[in-house]
Amino acid sequence: MDQVAHRRRQYAALAWLLLVAGAGLAAPYLPLPFAPAEPDLLAVGVSPAQGAGAGHWLGTDPLGRDVLAGLLFGARTLVLVTVPAALLAALLGAVLGSLAGYGRRLAAPAPAWLLGAGLGWWGLALPRPALGLAAAAGAGAWALGQWLRHRSGPVWALSLDALIQGAGALVGTVPRLVLVAAVATGGPLSLTGLGLLLVLTNWPGPARLVRAETLRVRALPFVEAARALGLPAACILRRHVLPLALRPLRADLPLRLAAFVGLESTLSFLGLGLPPDTASWGRLLDAARLDPAAWWTAAPPMLALLLTTGALLILSKK
Amino acid sequence: MPSRNLALRLTPRVATWALLAVACSCSTPPAPPVAGAVRIRWAQDPENLDPMVLPNPQAIEAANLLHGSLLQLDYAQQLFQPALATGLPARQALGDSLAVLTYELRPEARWDDGKPVTARDVAFSLKLMACPPGLGLPNEDARLAYRFVREVRQEAAFPRRVVLVCAGQAPTHLQATGTFPILPEHRLDAAGRLRRFSLAALQNWPATHLPDTGLTAFAQQYHAFRARQRGNNLPGCGPYALAGWTKDARLTFRRKPAWWADRLPASVPAVLRAPCPLLTFEIVPDEATAGLALQRGELDLFPQVPARLFARLRQSAAARQELAFHAAPSFEVVTVAFNTQRPGLADAPTRRALGLLLDAGGLLQATQLGEGQRTAGLIGPADPRAGCCDSLPPLAFDPPQAALLLGQAGWQRHPDGWHRRAGTAAPATALRLRLRYRTGDAMQETIALQFRAAAARIGVPVALLPTEAGALGAALRAGDFDLCVRTVKGNPFSCNFMPLLHSRAVGEGNVSRFGTAASDELLEQLAAAATPAQQARLLRRFQIMVREQAPLVPLFVVPTRLAASRRLAGLRAYGLKPGYAITALHRAAAPEPAAAPAP
Repeated sequence: MDQVAHRRRQYAALAWLLLVAGAGLAAPYLPLPFAPAEPDLLAVGVSPAQGAGAGHWLGTDPLGRDVLAGLLFGARTLVLVTVPAALLAALLGAVLGSLAGYGRRLAAPAPAWLLGAGLGWWGLALPRPALGLAAAAGAGAWALGQWLRHRSGPVWALSLDALIQGAGALVGTVPRLVLVAAVATGGPLSLTGLGLLLVLTNWPGPARLVRAETLRVRALPFVEAARALGLPAACILRRHVLPLALRPLRADLPLRLAAFVGLESTLSFLGLGLPPDTASWGRLLDAARLDPAAWWTAAPPMLALLLTTGALLILSKK
Repeated sequence: MPSRNLALRLTPRVATWALLAVACSCSTPPAPPVAGAVRIRWAQDPENLDPMVLPNPQAIEAANLLHGSLLQLDYAQQLFQPALATGLPARQALGDSLAVLTYELRPEARWDDGKPVTARDVAFSLKLMACPPGLGLPNEDARLAYRFVREVRQEAAFPRRVVLVCAGQAPTHLQATGTFPILPEHRLDAAGRLRRFSLAALQNWPATHLPDTGLTAFAQQYHAFRARQRGNNLPGCGPYALAGWTKDARLTFRRKPAWWADRLPASVPAVLRAPCPLLTFEIVPDEATAGLALQRGELDLFPQVPARLFARLRQSAAARQELAFHAAPSFEVVTVAFNTQRPGLADAPTRRALGLLLDAGGLLQATQLGEGQRTAGLIGPADPRAGCCDSLPPLAFDPPQAALLLGQAGWQRHPDGWHRRAGTAAPATALRLRLRYRTGDAMQETIALQFRAAAARIGVPVALLPTEAGALGAALRAGDFDLCVRTVKGNPFSCNFMPLLHSRAVGEGNVSRFGTAASDELLEQLAAAATPAQQARLLRRFQIMVREQAPLVPLFVVPTRLAASRRLAGLRAYGLKPGYAITALHRAAAPEPAAAPAP
């Protein structure tokens, strides 16, 4: 009985999510009387009852923007930002997590490491960028000297596991909202820019899941057997390890989407991230602050956020 | 900087919801920390308390508390009353191009160390404002504004008498010569280095000559003194002293226990009374947060309340029990300014065309609920001088006409927007605009959204750049915008628009970076107009020049709206900034009874 009820809840959740995605993607093609960022100066802050006659079926916010248009285009923003970002974060996490878990080492001649570090220092404009250029030039001279003398120099190997774990820990040391907000404070971001920002700050979660699963799978007998047969590491990883190691991501993806929905709305509510003329549920909530009595501005995005995150949580359960 | 911006952006929104939650849970308003203290909302930090700099209205308000001037504005009567001076100056024409104004200083006027305020201090203050640019003193605006004072005379036998010789015979000299802050010579120039120079010598210092060694030494000493003071606060003889300043949070001014004006007889003018023992200015950039703080009793006065919040509070029975509401017509004109140094906006026809994309009437209705007045120029219809310009019609909202005018200005519409080529070999300029406005200001955001939507209709892309109040001033002065929304404060006493539109004020008050030889000459003539008839004639030319050149587009005049605790006494709304007489405010023992419901 519980199973049936849960299945029904999952269908309802899926239906809601499809509705949100469909409405969002179709928003530019719907016969809406008002654009989401265009204020109707003759109908500022009108309730649904007052605004229905003028085509504002859900009323307008205290800046005169149509709430229905904001809701639909906000859904579009949500879909275009969060879905690709969650998929990309999962993909990046899967690649990095599997490399870390499979224990690969990255080996290169020492001058190449120095050259990369020096150019990185200079490119990132870290303090005294000339030092980076000097290090790169030194590395270049070292490599040239070795080539002229037909001698091979030392080869430095770096554990990918340590590198990826370290990078993940570095990203994780700052609370995610603060990290994203600090970057977004620099100025308005495009949809792509915000999506990339979400990916770059959220890949460690999937990476840790895949790494843990890869560590478990690589010790299984069939992987040992494949290694004994002499199959290349990349082949073992792709054909035998990853299909099993990626399983946790199926449950993680809806949860990550729910987190991204919350994060995007929070950023928009705080006035960060997307430009002020890009519709967002968080921005509708922000406009509600100007007139706390205008319930019609706050209620639709709150309800939509509640239902969307709830639906994603339901889908994440088996 | 990003972390400061982040904190600035996050605080108002988080604070709004926190205050909302607290307001719902608790009904007892908190008492002020000091008995008799008055807490006032400021939208932004004053940034600098040096009376030569004054980067924003908050700094001007602070300067009026800290420093004294010869005359002071009596808000109730809209007249200048004697402050440091014993009376209004004796005025005498000198030939047909000069005027002589003689002020007598009050014998009671003293600095905090007990030394008298003398004519030497007045002369020092004028010379400080006239120091040449090479010294690095922050007197760019003041040098321009007080250039008309050509000579300052002192008499050894009468140390409290100061004679000012002014270029022109404009009636506005009275206001201009009486309201600059007087600074103590014995504290800032103890060695008397500026005494060696006449005012004219400083004003006419050749740009090619290096500053004199004495002047350089004075400037170094002045800079060193400023650097030791909190927020560049200089010693003053005003009624208040700075008691505390937490950047971007609050400023506190404490009444001096022995202010010199307390020794004046009971018939002292209203401008020399300061009954409030402690004034606290709470910096609350967000209007919604400020409204909640006022309702919660954490603020006593909220000046410039947004129209919708004002109307909502007046309709609320609970708010009416605790708050009093005041409104008056003002001289503040909301404008949209163009950066005239941008390649696409350098020509007047393009600016005029873009001006037609602003729906001033609709914006007035939407943001001010119809209160306030549309205006065709920087002199609003309520201004007594507006009669000279009444033939100028307000700008119409007409996007199709704007597209037509853009075409006439040489722009060609392509699928990816408007482009213009200066010559056959020159690269094409695209018409893409960036509009900067103050974040958290609903009126400015509505104007920005309306302009963007109208521009989009004719294919002109506009990127909106909401900017924190603290960063906005710097961005505008640096010219980092194409358009900006800006409120221009005016007054009925002065016709000096040089700080706003003169080419010498570019990078300071002239954010539109506009200025031609003809416009500069007109502004100088207007500031020096001797008779009302001449002033009216020049004002008309000025308004027409602003319309034709369109460095900015005046939209409407906003009224002054004040909401305050009923415990606050001495409050009335005035049209002049800041909209109330701060030296009249004090906390009453009992709250004023609630008024009848608003109609």
